[in-house]
Amino acid sequence: MAKEIERAGIPAVHVCTIVPISKTVGANRIVPAIAIPHPLGDPTRTPDKEKALRRKLVEKALEALQTGIDGQTVFGD
Amino acid sequence: MRLELGRIRVRDVVWSRRTFLENGILHVNRDELVDRAGAKDTRIASIDAEIARPGEHVRIIPIKDAIEPRVKVEGRGGMFPGLISGVQTVGQGRTHVLEGCSVLTVGQIVGFQEGMIDMSGPGAAFSTFSRLLNVCLIIEAREGLSRHEHEEAVRMAGLRAAVYLGEAGRRISPDELVSYEPGRSSGAHDGRGDLPRIAYLYMLLSQGLLHDTFLYGRDMKTVLPTLICATEVMDGAIVSGNCVSACDKNTTYHHQNNPIIAELFKRDGKDLTFAGTVVTNANVTLKDKERSADYAVKLLEMLNVDGVIISKEGFGNPDADAMMLCARLEEEGIATTLVTDEFAGADGQSQSLADTTPRADALVSVGNANEIVMLPRPEIVIGNERIIERMAGGQPGSLSEHGIRAELQVILGATNELGFERLSAREE
Repeated sequence: MAKEIERAGIPAVHVCTIVPISKTVGANRIVPAIAIPHPLGDPTRTPDKEKALRRKLVEKALEALQTGIDGQTVFGD
Repeated sequence: MRLELGRIRVRDVVWSRRTFLENGILHVNRDELVDRAGAKDTRIASIDAEIARPGEHVRIIPIKDAIEPRVKVEGRGGMFPGLISGVQTVGQGRTHVLEGCSVLTVGQIVGFQEGMIDMSGPGAAFSTFSRLLNVCLIIEAREGLSRHEHEEAVRMAGLRAAVYLGEAGRRISPDELVSYEPGRSSGAHDGRGDLPRIAYLYMLLSQGLLHDTFLYGRDMKTVLPTLICATEVMDGAIVSGNCVSACDKNTTYHHQNNPIIAELFKRDGKDLTFAGTVVTNANVTLKDKERSADYAVKLLEMLNVDGVIISKEGFGNPDADAMMLCARLEEEGIATTLVTDEFAGADGQSQSLADTTPRADALVSVGNANEIVMLPRPEIVIGNERIIERMAGGQPGSLSEHGIRAELQVILGATNELGFERLSAREE
């Protein structure tokens, strides 16, 4: 999906738990996510803390989208 | 840790007034079997029992687990430690096996992640279970039960039924007695003999979401990779709690009869030294995957091995665990061979695995689970055939007047990654 979107000329970020798979598949901008059953949240945290975590991930993804890259890049912490 | 497996060949299973084994015929008191399996578990609403024999025009669907009846005759502990018996270490003494039969737990838990077996017709070629005498427990759970509770209730009922039937073999003289003793060959004692030291790395699915495996009753996702004596596996130390695509999960029966372990024992001291078995998990976070991969590699280095056979369980994200293990072992100079199935599309043209590494350069394929199979209508269905339309590998329209048209994925054990079946692929 990320590759097809980019093929259409739109930059894409792959927010993905298992980064090695994202690398193998060939995504260019990768933001590591939380866990396979809940990539964008963490039900073990309090609602407040989870919301902060989710915001951080989305902001990280938006930042990645605006960052120029030379090749496959993982936007970790 | 010497274990003698006494194999008793079961030629038929029949309902009877009492449960006993004589001349290869397993007589079963149906009511007692149902009572023992249910054990007054209030989570279970009803259990029915049916026998399905090889060659019969019978389809069994949906199936969660298969279990081989066994009984511990001598030695410490009991069958399925941590779940049925205590937590004493098993794997030594003598165990009797009721070979040729199994207990199947039938009934919908999550539907899309259970499997099916045909006892005759084209589907029968794909599954070991089609060649077994299957005692099917059709288990209905009480309404309102959570899926995790439901899974556990069904898992325990299946194990109890297998233990109950296994008891019938306690005093029977086995048809064959085979002794297994890890570390028997000289290479294992002097550290490094002339033969290559080969270990087995046993990946177990441990993802939560009802994709779980239990080691001595302990949920594998909470366990760091650890050493296990291969004979412990034969006494039911590893139990499946998996509701996941049927083709490539390891049922409890597969664990009890792991063919990689059997082959390594057979060749121990001949052309290799069976250096040990490490069990590892396949968890749902990248950190857990990396931690387990590193830890497993460390254990294998401590075993001072030259090569490792890795079996995968499941597909998709466990491919990432498998690739990490191959890459890290090969980086340490330890040769690897991975047994895996493929999800390569109906035509076999798509990428087979979700993750790859150039270091994984020795793979044994056990078939393409996306291959389409046509399974004509049987005369009798044990369970509920309509579930096929929601099962992984099936789709709306899979069931018609002609039978079932679905991916091989729906057949229990069809692409089992312990190498149970005969499908394979070669590079062209």
